[in-house]
Amino acid sequence: MRRWLRLLVLLAGGAAVAIGIEIAHPGSPWATLALIGGAVAAGELVELEPPLRPALPISFAFMVVLARLASVQDAALVLLIAELATFLVRSEPTSVEGRLALLAERLLEGMAAVLVYHGLTDSLGDPPTRGKVLFALAVAAIAPLVVAETARMVRDRHLGTSPHGRMADVALVTSATLMAISATGVDGHGGMGLWGPAVFTIPLLAAWYSYEHLALIRRTYDQTIRALGAAPELGGMVRDGHAERVADLTVAIGTAAGFSRHEVGELETAALLHHLGQVCLDEPGDGRPPEPVSIAQAGASILRGTPLLAPAGDIIAAEWMPYRERVASRPSVVSGQILKVASAFDELSDGHPERAGLAFEALCSAPDYLYDAQVIAALEVVLDRRGLLDQPC
Amino acid sequence: MNLQHKIEQMIHVTVLTLCSFTVALVTAAALSSENAFSTECIVALLVLAVFALAATNSDVTARAGLGISGNVMVLVAALVVFREYGLFLGPVIVGCCGAVDFTQLRQHAWEKVAFNAAADALSMLAATIVFWAMTGGSTSASTSRLLLATALGAATYLGVHAPLISIPVALSCDEPYVHVLRQIVAFDVVAFPFALLGLGLGWVYLELGAAVVPLLVVPILIARSTFASYLELKAGQEQTIETLILALEAKDRYTAGHAQRVAKFSEYVGAELRFGQRRMERLRYAALMHDIGKLVVPNQLLNKPGRLTESEFERVKRHEPVSVELLHRIDFLAPVAGDTTTEAATAAVDGAGIIEPAIIHVADAFDAMTSTRAYRRALSQETAFAELRAGAGTQFNAQCVDALIAAIERRDEHYGAGHEVDDHDWAVTPPEAGTGSAGLGHLVHEHEAATP
Repeated sequence: MRRWLRLLVLLAGGAAVAIGIEIAHPGSPWATLALIGGAVAAGELVELEPPLRPALPISFAFMVVLARLASVQDAALVLLIAELATFLVRSEPTSVEGRLALLAERLLEGMAAVLVYHGLTDSLGDPPTRGKVLFALAVAAIAPLVVAETARMVRDRHLGTSPHGRMADVALVTSATLMAISATGVDGHGGMGLWGPAVFTIPLLAAWYSYEHLALIRRTYDQTIRALGAAPELGGMVRDGHAERVADLTVAIGTAAGFSRHEVGELETAALLHHLGQVCLDEPGDGRPPEPVSIAQAGASILRGTPLLAPAGDIIAAEWMPYRERVASRPSVVSGQILKVASAFDELSDGHPERAGLAFEALCSAPDYLYDAQVIAALEVVLDRRGLLDQPC
Repeated sequence: MNLQHKIEQMIHVTVLTLCSFTVALVTAAALSSENAFSTECIVALLVLAVFALAATNSDVTARAGLGISGNVMVLVAALVVFREYGLFLGPVIVGCCGAVDFTQLRQHAWEKVAFNAAADALSMLAATIVFWAMTGGSTSASTSRLLLATALGAATYLGVHAPLISIPVALSCDEPYVHVLRQIVAFDVVAFPFALLGLGLGWVYLELGAAVVPLLVVPILIARSTFASYLELKAGQEQTIETLILALEAKDRYTAGHAQRVAKFSEYVGAELRFGQRRMERLRYAALMHDIGKLVVPNQLLNKPGRLTESEFERVKRHEPVSVELLHRIDFLAPVAGDTTTEAATAAVDGAGIIEPAIIHVADAFDAMTSTRAYRRALSQETAFAELRAGAGTQFNAQCVDALIAAIERRDEHYGAGHEVDDHDWAVTPPEAGTGSAGLGHLVHEHEAATP
């Protein structure tokens, strides 16, 4: 079933239940709660997916609205039904165990929002001023995020959080607060009813739309780079898998050398495309491939034509620049040396783990001026971590 | 008097007329309406005017699609807030502020600034009249009535604004007015949800105070910034492909501009077949990259004057499966990549299934025939059309052939012999005759090639 169809089923289910309740018990608050329950269930399938951050369902925002509109017991019941409904139509995780674990996690997150909101409003006392309500709602909106982060740490068995993609958290907390306060206003004044949460979901949906498109174009861009990196291999100019293996190794060496995530990304692009220049050169005619310097220069020249790829072009151009010329203002030279070492290592080992030791030894015994000793040391660390070195030189 | 001068004069007259009309109308409205300038009104004017200025000058728009537009939201919020405060001219003033583009100010484009301000003032005046009429007494009307009033107010604003700003755009771009209007209306329609958000912004301002407004603005700014990153990466993706196409064309000088032309002709066919935006985008990328496999063909073979040997031809032919393989590795293009080869595209002649490869096949063939290649000069457009028609239903998809010919004829465009844009500098002058390519049947034997 397509995602939009599943969304429609959940929203329509909530609406049908609400209509049924309204017919049976006109004016019952359960009709409103059924609609919010439908929104919680559907919101599970609409996730903000910022780069380098686990997906964040917008149901968290509706959980805060639910906390504002219902008592703890009522909210728990609605939450349980909504999450069970999502469990039935959810396509991911594919395993039942995985979906059950997610169901339990979501119930915990939802209840965290409900309990925190009610706990805070009770302890802050009457009258419920605008400041008090906003504070309680904001903390309640943060609660499911904290539970989700804790669950991730337990799952990954790794303490610590990443700052990446946190703007999505901010968007969720601000929108949730506004959606919840707009439903009933403050102290019975200024509520928009269900129109409030509906209208203030728009910024969240705009954020979701933007993140979706960003993720899609990022994936397409990465795949385009990888496909182009494979062109020389498909043309029989380079051994199969060379670009991917060199990219993997340069990323590991760059990370071990303390490069930033951005620098590592540029290094990876350069590694994937470092043989691209070969496709533009005339064949020498004597059966030998073109000179590596010519390949690097031709490749760099192509990539420098695009602002986004120009840094990768600089790295490729620097691959064959004497490393002793490096200066602090030219980080591409260091990256170029990493690329040169990784490429040479792969050509020597040809992707065979059992040849790694010999390949590394060959690099170590090369003349000093050929490879940067610091990069060789970083390569040794990487190979050692991977258990590929039995004979360090 | 030349045409450019005439257009400029028409624009001057349009701007002057609209500005005069707007000033007269706003003055009349100011004299005949309720305008209570209280302290809270002035504060609201300042806050919303700054929001409108910020929204206009940080607007992110896609080339042809949804943008994160904040201006409409602020204008609708002004309708709501000043209805409550009883200041009829409030939305008009905010509208004028929202029309000020800092780039135009820096360029001293006073005429554009004046026109935009007048168009916005007039549109907001119309929207205010509708909104006040719909809400009756004040914004204490029911939420449903307020929503209806907001929807109608926003529709009025967009309904007046779009036809007005289409006039100078159509004049300066020399495009049909209806065509420009349709594009602007399509863009306005997707900005409509932000009008509803404007109601929310107005409500938040009135009920909870300006201090709560950041709760609404922050997620919008985050969405805007993410959308800007998306557009930036999208531009990077296009530049990457274009750069590689240039690299490809540098290998094969006879195909300069070929990929772009095939993409253009494919888009012509896609438009005839009423493709949606996303499908059109995929078609364009696939068309641009249809020959990307030529990257692996040696330069000497691509530029060889005269006929190829069989073994050389086999090497050149390898570019087709390589193109398919490369496109397959990109999820977005994979659905149309499998059948981009000549054989598979002709297999899609019956029109069943995915038609994109058949479109690219027809566009590729048309451009190949109407361009000069190493092995022959460009044919005339009439000859190319005749060849396409002759192959329709067998070699080419008939629907695609009809669509391409119709699109080119409707645009009154001409390609081929006598209409080529690029100058050629031949090492060996290509022959003039022959509709075939250097394909089978046009090859030279290996032993002949070896003979000096």
